Amino acid sequence: MTCRAPHVLFAIVLGLMPLTGCKIVKNPEPGSEAAGSATATPADDAARMARMAAEIFAAKVVPFVAEQAVDLSTLRDAVAGGLDAAGAQHGHRPESEGSPWNFLVKGQGKVVKADTASRAAKLELDSDGDGVADVTVQLGPVIKGTSLRDAADFLVFTDFRDQIEFAKLARALNDEAHKALRLPEGDLTGRRFAFEGALTLRAKGDALLLVPTQLSEVP
Amino acid sequence: MKISRRLMLSAIGIAMSAAMPGLASAEGLIAILTPSHDNPFFKAEAVGAEARAKELGYETLVLVHDDDPNKQSELFDTAIARGAKAIILDNAGADATVAAVQRAKDAGIPSFLIDREIKESGIAVSQIVSNNYQGAQLGAEEFVRLMGETGKFAELVGREADTNAGIRSSGYHDIIDQYPEMEMVAQQSANWSQTEAYEKMETILQANPEIKGVISGNDTMAMGAWAALEAAGRTDVIVVGFDGSNDVRDSIKAGGIKATVLQPAYRQAQLAVEQADQFLKTGTTGQDEKQLMDCVLINADNAAKLETFALAD
Repeated sequence: MTCRAPHVLFAIVLGLMPLTGCKIVKNPEPGSEAAGSATATPADDAARMARMAAEIFAAKVVPFVAEQAVDLSTLRDAVAGGLDAAGAQHGHRPESEGSPWNFLVKGQGKVVKADTASRAAKLELDSDGDGVADVTVQLGPVIKGTSLRDAADFLVFTDFRDQIEFAKLARALNDEAHKALRLPEGDLTGRRFAFEGALTLRAKGDALLLVPTQLSEVP
Repeated sequence: MKISRRLMLSAIGIAMSAAMPGLASAEGLIAILTPSHDNPFFKAEAVGAEARAKELGYETLVLVHDDDPNKQSELFDTAIARGAKAIILDNAGADATVAAVQRAKDAGIPSFLIDREIKESGIAVSQIVSNNYQGAQLGAEEFVRLMGETGKFAELVGREADTNAGIRSSGYHDIIDQYPEMEMVAQQSANWSQTEAYEKMETILQANPEIKGVISGNDTMAMGAWAALEAAGRTDVIVVGFDGSNDVRDSIKAGGIKATVLQPAYRQAQLAVEQADQFLKTGTTGQDEKQLMDCVLINADNAAKLETFALAD
């Protein structure tokens, strides 16, 4: 037996070699339907980015917004003089061509309309006292866009594996923004809130759609 | 070849007439590698890159890899052997391409990627891609609106090895899945192909005759699906694509396909050449490696302004 053992081992090694060789090649099964449906996203991307978002939201993102935010009225005046000029002065965006401007803003406003029942819940605020809503605070859980990610200069696309990972990060940051909100009970209409957060403007007349990092009622 | 030689001669003429000492040839060769030009999207990329390269004084070598990583690898060898100064690439697979780009880099040839990413950074000089997530969300919002926020639908997904297939599907679902009345009854890959999409659509229709909409990962699959729907007399089905091709534009104008999302493919290819030119001359592009370009929703309102993957102002 002992003298045969090396042969057995050798045979096992020989047998394993092509197997391990096969494992290295990450080809998808051509024409397999499973491959097509699995395309959506690897499930662990979302989980990994959710962990990252949870780690950086309170520690880095919220303080960054607080530090960089400009008054909404300041931004409004600047945008009236041209979006690119406003962006150059107050905005954040990667240098690449075709990226919209993102802004970090703060301010206060009175709730003109509150929708807290929808999955895309929101507060429409009047921030300049003319009785008309001029900024929409997204409450979620469905929060649209990638404003928060894109306004945070320290989150750079090149540092991520691909667009899928980067997209999941944006979504996870929106989720964190939603989770951090603590709204008072009852009808919010007519009540006053202070806010900080991020928004994206692609064109001068775009509606202001805020992803909040801070939202609190003020007396 | 005759044409490019003539252009090179005229470039020499220009260089000589400009009395640049020691500059006996054009700026050199730029290789432009894309998937098959059968898809007008990739043709627009090649045409855009070639036009800009020639404007900047380069000779061009335009090659297609047909989404075959092995063929792409051979084309890289060709580009390296021909002494290309730079490679403009729409690649044949996010994983498989890394080695080829690395090989070119080792040979001193920088690569500038468009449309599709690779899964490593620090190897290519630029990776300029459409903001597929943003674009897909635009397309999905329009799709949900057209569907009246309710109904059964099918999704045609692109080629699995391509990151863009995954990111678009992800963008679609991040919007659509928020609407509980929207029910996906089929999700199949048609590998970006019109003929495959036609066949898949026929099968999906047989199994799910009640579907109300189809959202597609690109325009060629949308065209294939629409042809199958027309053949089955089901022009009531709402189809939304992605790319912004002239074919889909014409279908939108004729009341067929309802919407698509424009990727600025022509400009993207030109931008890659401009960054290659700047890199060759100054050693830097002045940009991050990975760059996103926003997409634009195309529907009946603005389809008339669309031409060859660019929107007129």
